Amino acid sequence: MTDRREEGPEAGTIVLMLGNPNVGKSALFNRMTGANAVVSNYPGTTVDFMSGTFIESGHTYTIIDVPGTYSLEPRDAAEEVAVRMLRDYPDATVIIVLDATKTDRGLYIALEVMERGMPCIVAVNMMDAAHEKKITVDIAALQRLLGVPVVSTTAISGEGVRELAEMLRKAKVADIGAIAQRLRGEEPERESVRSCGGCGGCGGQ
Amino acid sequence: MQIKLSDLPFGETAVVREIQTPAHDLNCMGLRIGKELKMVTKQPIKGPVVVLIGELEIAMGLEMAELIVVETGTDA
Repeated sequence: MTDRREEGPEAGTIVLMLGNPNVGKSALFNRMTGANAVVSNYPGTTVDFMSGTFIESGHTYTIIDVPGTYSLEPRDAAEEVAVRMLRDYPDATVIIVLDATKTDRGLYIALEVMERGMPCIVAVNMMDAAHEKKITVDIAALQRLLGVPVVSTTAISGEGVRELAEMLRKAKVADIGAIAQRLRGEEPERESVRSCGGCGGCGGQ
Repeated sequence: MQIKLSDLPFGETAVVREIQTPAHDLNCMGLRIGKELKMVTKQPIKGPVVVLIGELEIAMGLEMAELIVVETGTDA
């Protein structure tokens, strides 16, 4: 594994694509970078990662497709790589990818990442599969609760991918205390979403 | 009635009441206290034991399943 921190300013903002295994991180990665990467994940020995770049509104982003992990307490080599990537790029922005049909599981790792104080944005992927299974995800409510931008995407059709790219610059550090307060039904002192219903257009700013 | 997950018959549903092992591994996979699950597969000797929680299938060893207490007949 090469150290990419030395790549200089042309590498732009480092973005880590993180989430549970099999939620479509690589599909989303391919969509955003135009890469055609077949990423395999085999537990035990070598677990690699891919990186690619894309330019949005004149800003270059280097996206790193991190191996899927269930938590930040690694239990196998793939998860170790994921945790190491978070440690190696402390200034990176994190795209937390959730499977729309299994959001509660994804939120576990999402909150673990948010606890690290890294700027994040949440992509609720596989919306097509959720529609098929008659599952609806209240994106606006999730955004209000987490206080970071939440975008619904379908990586295989490309739906929401442009919006995700545009919202990347709105990624922000989640306030765990405020999330806990909102979960208890209290409104934190400084609520970032004021009169707006949280359409996602402004990232709740 | 509270039983070990390993004793839950095929196709039956139950609610997770207690996890007698460091719960982190199971929690991050989506198995938490209060969740309703359904037994899908239970292989003898060492497992695997596969349960369905909503859309999630979670596989674990038989030893792990013996440390999970579930309550049956909650919806009866």
